Amino acid sequence: MLLFFQKKICLLVLATLAFTATSLAQSNVSGNVKDKDGQPVTGVSVTVKGGNKGTSTNAEGNFSLMAVPANASLIFSASGYAQQEVKVTGTDDISIILLTSIGSMDEVVVIGYGTAKRKDLTGAVTTVGEKDFNKGTFTAADQLIQGKVAGVQMINNSGQPGGASTVKIRGNASVTGSGQPLYIIDGVPLDGRSARPGLSPSGLGDAPGGNPLNFLNPSDIASIDVLKDASATAIYGTRAAYGVVLITTKRGQSGATKIEFGTSIGTSSILRRVKVLDATQYRQALTYYGVSAANDLKADVNGLDIILRNALIQNYNVAISGGNDNSKYRFSGSMLDQDGIVRKTGIKKYTANFAGSFKMLENKRLGLDINILPSLYQENLAPITNNAGSTGSLIGQALQWNPTEAFRKPDGSLNVKAGDIINPLAMSEAYNDVSRVTTLLASIAPSYKFTDWLEYKLLYSINYGTGTRRASTQQFINLGDVKDRGFAAIGQNELTTQTTTHTLNFNKQVATNLTMTALAGYEYIKTTNKGSNTNALGPTGGFGQYGLDYTNYIQFSNPGSRNISSFVDPSFELQSYFARVGFNFKDRYLLTGTVRRDGSTRFGTNNKYGTFPAVSAAWVVTKESFFQVNGINSLKIRGGWGKTGNQDFPSGASQATYSFGNNGGLSQTNYPNPDLKWQNDRQYNIGLDASILNNRVGLTLDYFNKKTGDLLFPTFPDPAGPIGGAVLWQNLVGSVENKGLEVAINTNIIDKKDFSFDFGVNATFIKNEVSGLPAPIPTGIFIGQGVTGTFVQTIRNGFPINTFFTREFLGLDKGTGQALYTDGGSTFYSVGNPNPTTILGLTAAFKYKKLSFTANMNGALGQKIYNNTLNNVINVGSIKGGRNIAVSVYESPVKEAFSNPVTASSRFIEKGDYLKLANATLSYNVGPVGKVFRTANVYLTGQNLFVITKFSGFDPEVNVDKSNRGVPSVGIEYTPYPSARIVTLGANFSF
Amino acid sequence: MIRKLTMITSLFLLLGVLSCTKLNEDFEGNLTQSQIGAGGAGNATALLTQLYNDTKGTFQNQDQIFALWEMTTDELIGPTRGPDWDDNGVWRVLHEHKWDGDNQRIIDAFKSLNGIAYGATDLLRFSPTPQQGAEARCIRALAQFYLLDGWNQVNYREPGESVVTASKVRTGPEALTYIITELEAVLPSLPDAPATGATKNGARALLMKCYLNKGVIANRATPTFDAGDMNKAISYADQIINSGSVTFSTNYFDNFAPNNNSIGRENIWTQQNVGGSQSFGIRSRWRAVMHYKQNPGGWNGFSTLSDFYNKFEGTDVRRGTNYPTTASPVNPGNRITVGLFRGQQRDLKNDTLLTDRGGAPLFFTDQVKSIETGDNLEVTGIRAYKYPIDFNNEENGGGNVDNDYVLFRLGDVLLMKAEAILRGGTGTAAGIYGSTANTIVNAVRTNRGASALATVTLDNLIDERGRELYLESWRRQDLIRFGKFLLPMQEKPGASDPKYLLFAIPNQALAVNPNLKQNTGY
Repeated sequence: MLLFFQKKICLLVLATLAFTATSLAQSNVSGNVKDKDGQPVTGVSVTVKGGNKGTSTNAEGNFSLMAVPANASLIFSASGYAQQEVKVTGTDDISIILLTSIGSMDEVVVIGYGTAKRKDLTGAVTTVGEKDFNKGTFTAADQLIQGKVAGVQMINNSGQPGGASTVKIRGNASVTGSGQPLYIIDGVPLDGRSARPGLSPSGLGDAPGGNPLNFLNPSDIASIDVLKDASATAIYGTRAAYGVVLITTKRGQSGATKIEFGTSIGTSSILRRVKVLDATQYRQALTYYGVSAANDLKADVNGLDIILRNALIQNYNVAISGGNDNSKYRFSGSMLDQDGIVRKTGIKKYTANFAGSFKMLENKRLGLDINILPSLYQENLAPITNNAGSTGSLIGQALQWNPTEAFRKPDGSLNVKAGDIINPLAMSEAYNDVSRVTTLLASIAPSYKFTDWLEYKLLYSINYGTGTRRASTQQFINLGDVKDRGFAAIGQNELTTQTTTHTLNFNKQVATNLTMTALAGYEYIKTTNKGSNTNALGPTGGFGQYGLDYTNYIQFSNPGSRNISSFVDPSFELQSYFARVGFNFKDRYLLTGTVRRDGSTRFGTNNKYGTFPAVSAAWVVTKESFFQVNGINSLKIRGGWGKTGNQDFPSGASQATYSFGNNGGLSQTNYPNPDLKWQNDRQYNIGLDASILNNRVGLTLDYFNKKTGDLLFPTFPDPAGPIGGAVLWQNLVGSVENKGLEVAINTNIIDKKDFSFDFGVNATFIKNEVSGLPAPIPTGIFIGQGVTGTFVQTIRNGFPINTFFTREFLGLDKGTGQALYTDGGSTFYSVGNPNPTTILGLTAAFKYKKLSFTANMNGALGQKIYNNTLNNVINVGSIKGGRNIAVSVYESPVKEAFSNPVTASSRFIEKGDYLKLANATLSYNVGPVGKVFRTANVYLTGQNLFVITKFSGFDPEVNVDKSNRGVPSVGIEYTPYPSARIVTLGANFSF
Repeated sequence: MIRKLTMITSLFLLLGVLSCTKLNEDFEGNLTQSQIGAGGAGNATALLTQLYNDTKGTFQNQDQIFALWEMTTDELIGPTRGPDWDDNGVWRVLHEHKWDGDNQRIIDAFKSLNGIAYGATDLLRFSPTPQQGAEARCIRALAQFYLLDGWNQVNYREPGESVVTASKVRTGPEALTYIITELEAVLPSLPDAPATGATKNGARALLMKCYLNKGVIANRATPTFDAGDMNKAISYADQIINSGSVTFSTNYFDNFAPNNNSIGRENIWTQQNVGGSQSFGIRSRWRAVMHYKQNPGGWNGFSTLSDFYNKFEGTDVRRGTNYPTTASPVNPGNRITVGLFRGQQRDLKNDTLLTDRGGAPLFFTDQVKSIETGDNLEVTGIRAYKYPIDFNNEENGGGNVDNDYVLFRLGDVLLMKAEAILRGGTGTAAGIYGSTANTIVNAVRTNRGASALATVTLDNLIDERGRELYLESWRRQDLIRFGKFLLPMQEKPGASDPKYLLFAIPNQALAVNPNLKQNTGY
């Protein structure tokens, strides 16, 4: 820290000492920019051609530029509009109408450690601006671009508000770790974890984690850029292998103070149900299967209905922004209160954001950006877990509940059963789990422009998160050890990341027709993560029924049942040097080279630093005089190659680690590997960007080939090593190859003054194959009655990663009702690929006068899903034990025997193809209301309106974590939190 | 201009250089190799505690040693019961002798036993006291003896050797010689008591096993027994008996009771579980067999077999008895509460009849199959557990029960001595048990309430070992020594391929260690 301040002081001195340049004043120019509907366009970049002087339009669309040379041309550019060039001819008032354009080449794109114009890009980068974001209520920012970016597969793992999502950019290559992209917010890299403590409800398994992006307010976000190929991502070195997502928050604009206010209210309900027997069917089934009629308890209930509800959502946003050319600010606050569709769940989130940009000194060369983002979110969680055993978690208990049995006794008290069947209503009543996470992301970035073409910038940021979580289970529930005792658990976690980045940016015309841009930088990141957990069962007689939460008096517990633990992860530091150089010759030939050298504490002593180079080039064919084809407005061909890495393994993995155990024990938990290093990705990319038919159709095509080697893996070590979970982290030989084609087409089919229709489609076709592994790697582990120790997925040479390998089901034997398998079930076969081969996104937008309608669909084809809910929870044996079963089991043409063993097989592998209407919005732009509101807009949005699929589980968009020893699983459903359909009514005003 | 640029760039680079860190990884909640090295003897104490704990899980859990040494024999079967217990067939292949090198039970046990041996070796680097060193080496000998018995290959390392390189392997008689040498070397440094750790008598009992099985390790299919080895075994038995620290308990089940630490007078080497605070997998012994509707509710899994049940006389207390413990139900019908459970089961609080989850009588049948297909699949098979349930701690919650796990005890020592005499050793008088196989075996039988055998032969001695030592993780070794392991048994119709005299080396271990060779036939 001290070192950091020393550096800062040093910089300021450096900055004041630096020379200043003078410029020749000529004339002052001002003007106004509007769109074709006459609305002012804010944030339009206005630059003097051939120089670096520039400004941008304010909230009224006005701009002014001082000292513009005579006869200069001004270039007006903004995202989504065609660039215009206007000559300054004496007049000092210029009015411009910008026309919309598809895939504008002048759009400003955020790239690693800087920005670039789309026309200068040589890599594969997709930008989604605010106007193209998905509409609706979102807790995490990643959901704004679901289905919007070719090459990106995004799955909401469950319907839990604030739940985690799975984002895979250009296929699945993670043998271990999360496989998630690196998120960067305004230049600050995120750690990828949230500070929410993990707790396991006693006897019910492990609860899934939360979304690490929950702390952001989606309405504070201006744009999201996705860097996909290695030439774009290599500047992020060992964290870039799974792609990089750059999130840019909104800034203030010069002009009068603007106040924006948004509010919405909505309701959500279950999207799709798993079909289990209703009371009538259940009675028939009792007879059909010959189960005792005593199991008909005469009621008519639905286990899922009793724990579900129509849930209310409220959202409020306010933002105040303004400033002048030299100081701009934006302050915003938000409140989201989203109830989940499962009772006693939901998220309450409060965020604030202050963003300020200042230019100082007489010559305005000293800049200062400040960004502060505090947030607090509280999640109320249900006992829904990834790996519940025989007792099931809440969703399993609900599906299994006998539909003829009342939830309450005649006297109104909960019907808590004697055996191991758990009343879902009682479970929900008995369980309380509240997590609170407080975060602060603050950054300060002074910069100094030495000359028009050389700028130094320092970015220091701190990202601090702390979470507390308290969970308790009341003693009345008939749950294993919890019964008659009660259970309380308290967890605490603290996650801190500090980042210091120095960059020097160079941008100059170095020869006639040749512009050079260059970047050099140094970055230092330090992360610490620590936490503690305490849990206990109650004393003899239990915690009691005083109406108090057990976590409030945990000392009352039985000392013998107490578990306490604390941890500090080994500190993580990353030190990097990076550089980028780009040449632009006549706007026609573009060349970019980047290199990053990353040193990480995680790497073994023999491999402390890795180097990650990339080169790419582009040719703007339409700039050639010989290529002037009618209808083709622009055509650019790109190609690039680069190396990136991934260091998604635990800190301490390269060292021999001894851990403190219970009651005085000490044991070795990790093997040393001084050679341990990053996972290695090599990717090449060939692409083209075209704009045709009067800029009405934009087309981007990319072919990519990504080969991931040096696979990080906790190997089964030599048997003569420490007992238990001790592992040896190694870089395996072998590779995972993802290759595919991305197509994105955006069209502006109708563009009249009162009526417009835009349509966009993006598709990704992808192929995945594993090769060269020394031994197959099993994952997709099942836990629970009858399936303990079952693995259904294997990472194996010659197959796509995570291919399902299990018994091949041939049907039920008509005579015995027993399942038949190829080779009696003793041989496992490849029975399905859980990775989609095609990913789709569709967008349509209509506008008629003040009314507009947008709809987004997304989908995936070719993937298989393992329905472990059907396999393990609602199988035929359940009805014998007094539980419910799936309709499909009951309606099976062959009557299945109770004794048919519950075992994994291809029987439960289903087609996961789906197409989802992810959101549809109807909005009415009221326009200015009197003199009070500058703008007003009301809208109605539906999210998850329908899904077309043959999958019989809750939602084909599912990914329950069934990882084994850190090897992730893919496409397994197991009693997840069901997905919700959300309808929201909202309004936005500004004044 | 260029100069200025150069200056700025140099300044910038200088800043970068100043910021350089060494990228050392600091551990704040764990210890590294160097930190633990500096800790000296204190660390040896902590590592020894952990070593004992590691050993406990390996022996007490139902899914490692217990599964391999019992479920492969006539004493135990793990049937698939419809929705329950198929677990990818991992249990049923054990009883049917159909396992391979990917069986999770085999993988886990092999890894755990090797882990114990490694932990003991690693401890020797950290300046243990002579007694700590002796205890660690004695525990290592136990783990390596089981490895040798199960797989005929024993991985080993020298203290401090890098774990990243492949470990060396000793096989067969060479490995046994090493184990014997080690035990005899450390014996003088071991304490006399307590039985909850490695003691002189514990090492002697293990040495008896070594000498008795020496001919088996050399040739498992057709073992021969050397009189010198048998006399060694007899001599160690006499040393144990004459030490005066073990004698028959009042009740056979005292040795397994929750308070067996104080009343289990036959116990030579146990693993301590502390009720209410820290215990290991011992609870699985009753949980794995008890039906969901019994008290405490279990997992309704493993069964014994009627052929085995029928080896007992009705008066033999070992077949089952009412054994009250602290906080156990009143048991008005005086029903069996420990041992073998056959037929109708009752609620021990009020003697009412129990039913299964479908409402049928909870009647444990004699018939049991590897894969149950009938409607009665919940109730098939005679159930067995020999550790009296610690109701006191079951009800206290937390699952920390008090029963210490028994590794070696007097009954085993006496039957081994009798066997050594029958196999050519010279009978000696020690204690109250006489000097012939007949007197020794009948002393045990009489204490257990069984009638005396007219003549003790190898044929009835193997059955006696079954009755005395069932579910104590010796059966597989015993059956092999008596040449009966491969024979057909209930629910395993034919004779097994001789390759099943050894377990398969786990394929994942073969993949990382070229010094291991897959056992013949796999």
